[in-house]
Amino acid sequence: MMRLGTAVPSLIRPPGVCVPASRIDDGSVAAVELKGIVKRFPGVIANDDVNLTVAPGTVHALVGENGAGKSTLMKILYGMQHPDEGTITIGGERVEFKSPTDAIRHGIGMVHQHFMLADNLTVLENVILGYEPTRFGVIDFDGARRRIEELTELYGLPVEPDVRVERLGVGDRQRVEILKVLFRGATTLILDEPTAVLVPQEVDELFDNLSDLKSQGITILFISHKLDEVLTVADDITVMRAGTTVAARKPADVTSHQLAELMVGSELPTPETRESTVTDQVCLELSGITVCREDGRPDVDDVSIEIHQGEIVGIAGVEGNGQTQLIAAIMGTTTTRSGSISLDGDDITHWPTRRRREAGLGYVPEDRHRHGLLLDAPLWENQILGHQTQEPNARGPWIDRRAARARTEELVEQFDVRTPTIDVMAGALSGGNQQKLIIGRELMAGPVAMIAAHPTRGVDVGAQAAIWDQLRDARHDGLATLLISADLEELIGLSDTLLVIYKGRIVARLDPAATSPEELGSHMTGAAAAGGAG
Amino acid sequence: MKKNWKLQAAAPILALVGAAVIAGIILAATGNDPGDVLQVIVDDGFETRRVVDTLNRAAPYYIAGVAVAIGFKMTLFNIGVEGQYRLAALVAAWAGASVNLPAPLHVLFILMVAVITGAAWAAIPGLLRATRGVHEVISSIMLNSIALGLGAFLLHRWFRAPAGEYPGAVGTEVLPTPGRLPLLNGLVEKLGVDLPPGTRLQSYIFIALIIGVAYHLVISRTRFGFDLRASGSNPEAAEASGVDPKRMVVVTMVLSGAVAGLIGLNNVMSNVGDQARYTDVSVVGGLGFTGIAIALLGRNHPVGIALGALLWAFMDALQTPLSSAQLPKQITAILQGVAVLSVVIAYEVVRRIEQRQQASSLRRDSEPPPASEVAPA
Ligand SMILES: Nc1ncnc2c1ncn2[C@@H]1O[C@H](COP(=O)(O)OP(=O)(O)OP(=O)(O)O)[C@@H](O)[C@H]1O
Ligand SMILES: [Mg+2]
Repeated sequence: MMRLGTAVPSLIRPPGVCVPASRIDDGSVAAVELKGIVKRFPGVIANDDVNLTVAPGTVHALVGENGAGKSTLMKILYGMQHPDEGTITIGGERVEFKSPTDAIRHGIGMVHQHFMLADNLTVLENVILGYEPTRFGVIDFDGARRRIEELTELYGLPVEPDVRVERLGVGDRQRVEILKVLFRGATTLILDEPTAVLVPQEVDELFDNLSDLKSQGITILFISHKLDEVLTVADDITVMRAGTTVAARKPADVTSHQLAELMVGSELPTPETRESTVTDQVCLELSGITVCREDGRPDVDDVSIEIHQGEIVGIAGVEGNGQTQLIAAIMGTTTTRSGSISLDGDDITHWPTRRRREAGLGYVPEDRHRHGLLLDAPLWENQILGHQTQEPNARGPWIDRRAARARTEELVEQFDVRTPTIDVMAGALSGGNQQKLIIGRELMAGPVAMIAAHPTRGVDVGAQAAIWDQLRDARHDGLATLLISADLEELIGLSDTLLVIYKGRIVARLDPAATSPEELGSHMTGAAAAGGAG
Repeated sequence: MKKNWKLQAAAPILALVGAAVIAGIILAATGNDPGDVLQVIVDDGFETRRVVDTLNRAAPYYIAGVAVAIGFKMTLFNIGVEGQYRLAALVAAWAGASVNLPAPLHVLFILMVAVITGAAWAAIPGLLRATRGVHEVISSIMLNSIALGLGAFLLHRWFRAPAGEYPGAVGTEVLPTPGRLPLLNGLVEKLGVDLPPGTRLQSYIFIALIIGVAYHLVISRTRFGFDLRASGSNPEAAEASGVDPKRMVVVTMVLSGAVAGLIGLNNVMSNVGDQARYTDVSVVGGLGFTGIAIALLGRNHPVGIALGALLWAFMDALQTPLSSAQLPKQITAILQGVAVLSVVIAYEVVRRIEQRQQASSLRRDSEPPPASEVAPA
């Protein structure tokens, strides 16, 4: 197998990357050693005396509940945040990173929990952004393209270099992010919840890639809330709780139940639908919905779905098979080529988004940062978002601040959003807590139908169980839910009806009680579509 | 988090001190004594006459700042305020001179014409952006030149008073008395302040005040204001929340233009005798661009913009005493420019200090109390 180092043409090889000798030798020197890290934010101590040692050439998992301080710690290692106290040692060398540029120079690369890509640039441009290889003083696009193709092939990360990122789904965006880090010649890869957005097949592929990388001596640090997956791929596991590292375990010595207990002190939840609450009253009905791109190719192709009151209809599918566009069609943020949508008996096909929302259409978006939050606005204003014309947030043309704030206090309490106050900016919440805020906001508005895209993405096991319970309670109260998820167990466990979307079409309708994740997986990749489903 | 108000107030003061130091260096470098200039500012700047002058000048600056800030709130750059107010002032002055209504109605009529003209002119770049994707900066810069040409054409073709009717510059007919705004001299004198002869305190400052209050209420207290801020903060999330992004662009431009329409009428409606009409003297150019600087100075905040407008107007008012003292009055223009830059820098500095302070106050809280004194959070 080719070593990554030699695969980087000297032309675009980062000038400062020094391969630490310890990595190649016997592994006695830690690739990364964090000692006594302390980081405070207004109102919270995100990291409080954190100690972490990562052996070179291993996969090291970091687990902990929402807001435990995992992302913060990784941002410190990546030079994005500066520790108030503590030391960072990379391959035996004490370092102090002023910025990610310093970290990259020491071979550390990071893929964030929330992607950081420039939407209006192409994949190629995003990958080289800030790191443009030059040849005779101009950007060497050909060289970059060749390099990207090499990396793509080496690690099986299929991307189209000339597509604009705004056109990509979440899964593709992640691939671009990983590619971006590899392009910079990283020898230590930090992945913040990389699998949250992937379907199982993609997760397997990613893990194959990770073990390839590992066998070439690359060190991988990753954060995940999916404990089973942590147990299968990690060589070492570090558990964080309330800002500190509370335990270090080998996967062989620990079960996922024990891990969960170390994290939150609670049991692992399983999504199980209780007795059916499906009524015969159709609540949200799509018939023959088609959404096309500018070039006329359909993203969503003649999709018809009926969701009854008290029913959860799950949509399974590999990212990028039309889910995003289907959601946009229901929300009214894209124009449909044909078909009609009705909500609670009203034909809403030509209604603007605002009217749909006022009619009781709830929305948990796929990408919470892009579509769900105002990161630079306080929590209580984010609670208003999407419901700014409705009680109790509005009174006539006015925003009722007091009522909106009271509602937010209630939400924070009821949905266990961990925050010092409701005046902190939404951007300062940890990823899982942002998700809880959105779920709470949508459910508290009392929707009649709701799109729930990846409702538990990025939340810890405890909060996941709580959200599942909340969705089931809402279903019991008659909510019609369209559930889109990459988590097959969540789909099977929550749905009353399971549909599979593939290339914009509904290719299978399954009974969740009689479907295994493996079976579902094969439908999703289109393997079963040709023969089996009927 | 609660803001530290002392620190927040420190930012503009820091900026002004910085600006003053730079201006002092420039003065010294050009062979003037900064002390002389300071002397003029202290001796003359706060005379009643200057204060009145400052207030009169601040009113249109404030309205201009608000007009620009409305766009800034949703990251729209209405650089066309300049054309909008100049056209609006001309049309309103002409319309006001062409009708006869009872006093309050006449004043309202003139203001309405100005608002509508400004809004209509601003709607053009708004619509172009929403329907054709033309960037508002480009279209409104072009519309600024068109507005000037159109204004000159309208004035000379239809709106001008017959040649020789009034002394001085070409302009519209004089406004009838019911269309004029009262002066505040009487009111001020009743309060015990004697105004020097020839000074006139315009009641236009009340219009600026009303605009300011309305701006504050609309932006931070209404549903519409929420939509506007959401669109500025995250357009995609705003759209998903039910804001129609195209409509929002048009409405915001129209609103910005409506406010812009009121910028230029202070002198036309407050002057006495033959002066109460549109001329190049009563409606000066450039206020739209000044509005951009003032919105930046005030960080789009209703009170901040007011302080910015007052500061700017104060600098303007200083020019007369500076020239009579044989000092370079251009120094005020330098001060204005440097002030904008230093404000931008100072706010960033203060933001960082604040962050560090909050972190260290936390540090104190998180440590076990060594003695009895523990700072409250
Ligand atoms: N920029 C910031 N400003 C203020 N507080 C912050 C900031 N970033 C993080 N925090 C706070 O620090 C704590 C730890 O956040 P962090 O994002 O590290 O959690 P996490 O372990 O990654 O959680 P999750 O699993 O939900 O992503 C949280 O309480 C969060 O609110
Ligand atoms: Mg995180």
